[in-house]
Amino acid sequence: MRMVIPIKQILDPAGITVRRDKERIFINREEYIIDPGSKAALEAALRLKEERDQAETIAISLGPARTDDALREALAMGCDAAYLLSDPAFEEADLSVATLILAAAVRKLGGADLILVGRQSGDTGAGQIGPRLAEALGYAQVTDVYALAVENGAARTTRRWGKGYATVQVQLPAVVTVAPEAFPPRYPHGARIMNAYREWNVPVWGCADLNLEPSSLTPLLTFRGESFPPPLEPERFRGNPTTVAQEVITALTLHKLINPGGGSHGL
Amino acid sequence: MDFSFFGELLEEEREITPEVTEGYRNLWVAAEAADGTLPPSTLEAIGQAREIANQIGVYVWASLLGDGVEPLAQQLIAYGADRVLVADSPSLAEYQPEVYVKILADLVGQHRPEMLLMPATSLGNDLAPRLAQRLNTGLISHCLKLTLDMSERLLLGTCPALGGEVYHTFACPQARPQMATLEPGYFRIPSADPYRSGEVKRVDLDLGGVTGRLSWLEREASVELPPVPLSRAKIVVSAGRGMGDAEGFALVQRLAEVLGAALVGSRGAFDEGWIPEDRIVGVGGQFIAPDLYIACGLSGDIYHYFGVQSARCIVAINPDENAPIMKVAHMAVVGDARQVIPAMLNALGR
Ligand SMILES: Cc1cc2nc3c(=O)[nH]c(=O)nc-3n(C[C@H](O)[C@H](O)[C@H](O)COP(=O)(O)OP(=O)(O)OC[C@H]3O[C@@H](n4cnc5c(N)ncnc54)[C@H](O)[C@@H]3O)c2cc1C
Repeated sequence: MRMVIPIKQILDPAGITVRRDKERIFINREEYIIDPGSKAALEAALRLKEERDQAETIAISLGPARTDDALREALAMGCDAAYLLSDPAFEEADLSVATLILAAAVRKLGGADLILVGRQSGDTGAGQIGPRLAEALGYAQVTDVYALAVENGAARTTRRWGKGYATVQVQLPAVVTVAPEAFPPRYPHGARIMNAYREWNVPVWGCADLNLEPSSLTPLLTFRGESFPPPLEPERFRGNPTTVAQEVITALTLHKLINPGGGSHGL
Repeated sequence: MDFSFFGELLEEEREITPEVTEGYRNLWVAAEAADGTLPPSTLEAIGQAREIANQIGVYVWASLLGDGVEPLAQQLIAYGADRVLVADSPSLAEYQPEVYVKILADLVGQHRPEMLLMPATSLGNDLAPRLAQRLNTGLISHCLKLTLDMSERLLLGTCPALGGEVYHTFACPQARPQMATLEPGYFRIPSADPYRSGEVKRVDLDLGGVTGRLSWLEREASVELPPVPLSRAKIVVSAGRGMGDAEGFALVQRLAEVLGAALVGSRGAFDEGWIPEDRIVGVGGQFIAPDLYIACGLSGDIYHYFGVQSARCIVAINPDENAPIMKVAHMAVVGDARQVIPAMLNALGR
């Protein structure tokens, strides 16, 4: 079984402060990490690999040269191979272009039985890559998966569905997007961390390697600006406990800090 | 003279008026039916579509796929749709991405909507990106707000980034339809007008051999989630010595449970034996940055506050208006936590 895990490198949110009142983002520390969704996808793949004799895990990532670090971390976690998809022509990639590039890489690898990605990335959180990639490759898909097993050419998944969960079986080849909260990632193995840098090679594939025409990589979405949620104005609540409690719950609900009616996945 | 900038101007011109956008009209909602009703998220999408359609003077069309869904078509009209395309068939009883994509892509090909909205539900989040890829168009997902750029007749979608700390706005200037998914709970549900008229049209299903690759085995599955590490908890509820006794502390525990929150405390709560040492928040303990921190009966001096200063919203419940935590709280509740917490549980329906 061959698993391909497209991973994304993001700015470490711990190094970023967003000041709503100043409408500015301060980058205190420019450090990059593997996106938590991607890490969960790596974890899910490595667990499947450990359960069987014949399994191969390949991490791929689209990004600039620094993304090499993320791929070496994936190797240190236990992946068998890693490829960096990097080319000046990839720099402006939006989700549809990223899909083309990742699909080309999967094809060059000879296809996959299972492609695992995070449900949503921590930075932009669009949640599109999984289904888009499934469409581009003609694979089946299951999204927002919390439990995963593979047997006899099919994956059995427990996925979020509305306010609850459903068990869904899917024929391979398939793309499965995983819920980060369900697959807490392992730490890379000490010895493997050394090897990841000393011994292993992370090949770089560009347009020519992937048979892509730079002119076919035109983004469909254009960025039209950044804005900030309104800052929380300090508020005081006084009076009868029942009224006060009601007011606080209402305020928290309005600010989407709590969701008494169920998760954001609800209908 | 250098006229090369003319070339650039022409380039730009060509980009702004592409032929592909011609002939695309009307605004679509891919409606969803769940358990024989139209869920709020679908009504929100219809309401938003109606508002935009009125601004640009086009019709609102809705597609409705499923088994036994036809009776709901009239409701979609009551909420603002002008025309409803219904694909009602036992073969659509279960959601199958490939089948739904095939039907919608064919309908879009035939009728060429200018914009296509879908609710960002489990189904919408699964279907919309795959449909966008099939249609070779852009999708703005998880929108909290939609506006129009009238000069170019563009849909502008604003969606959260960095976990909701920032909003990004996107447009899809070239490809059609312009697609967006709408986050449930952010758009107004319109009021229904049972006398509104519209047309319901049944779609002839031609799946062209496309079959689903999913088997839905169980609808009511349960999952056991691994415990969320404190550092990643979105909601954290915290107790301090001011809760008085074990009974008071139990109220805080209950609040945490109901909110699905992590439970922590102050040094005072640790001294009382209510929380283990690794659950003390502050300079001498844990540093956390939840979206919501609810401090119950704790004074929150700098030693404590330092560990939670990155929280996005701090709620403090304390009768002492001058307690340090009350000065830094975004929502300072002046009152006895032993009375306020039960009332909060009540307000939450527990
Ligand atoms: C070097 C050093 C490091 C420290 N590190 C930490 C640390 O990491 N974390 C930490 O927490 N502390 C730390 N402390 C201790 C800290 O200074 C405080 O003493 C401690 O946090 C106080 O705990 P408390 O708020 O629970 O209790 P108190 O300070 O006793 O506060 C109780 C609060 O409850 C309120 N109250 C009373 N009745 C009610 C009621 N019915 N409803 C609601 N509110 C009520 C009172 O008005 C009061 O504000 C440190 C101290 C030092 C010197």
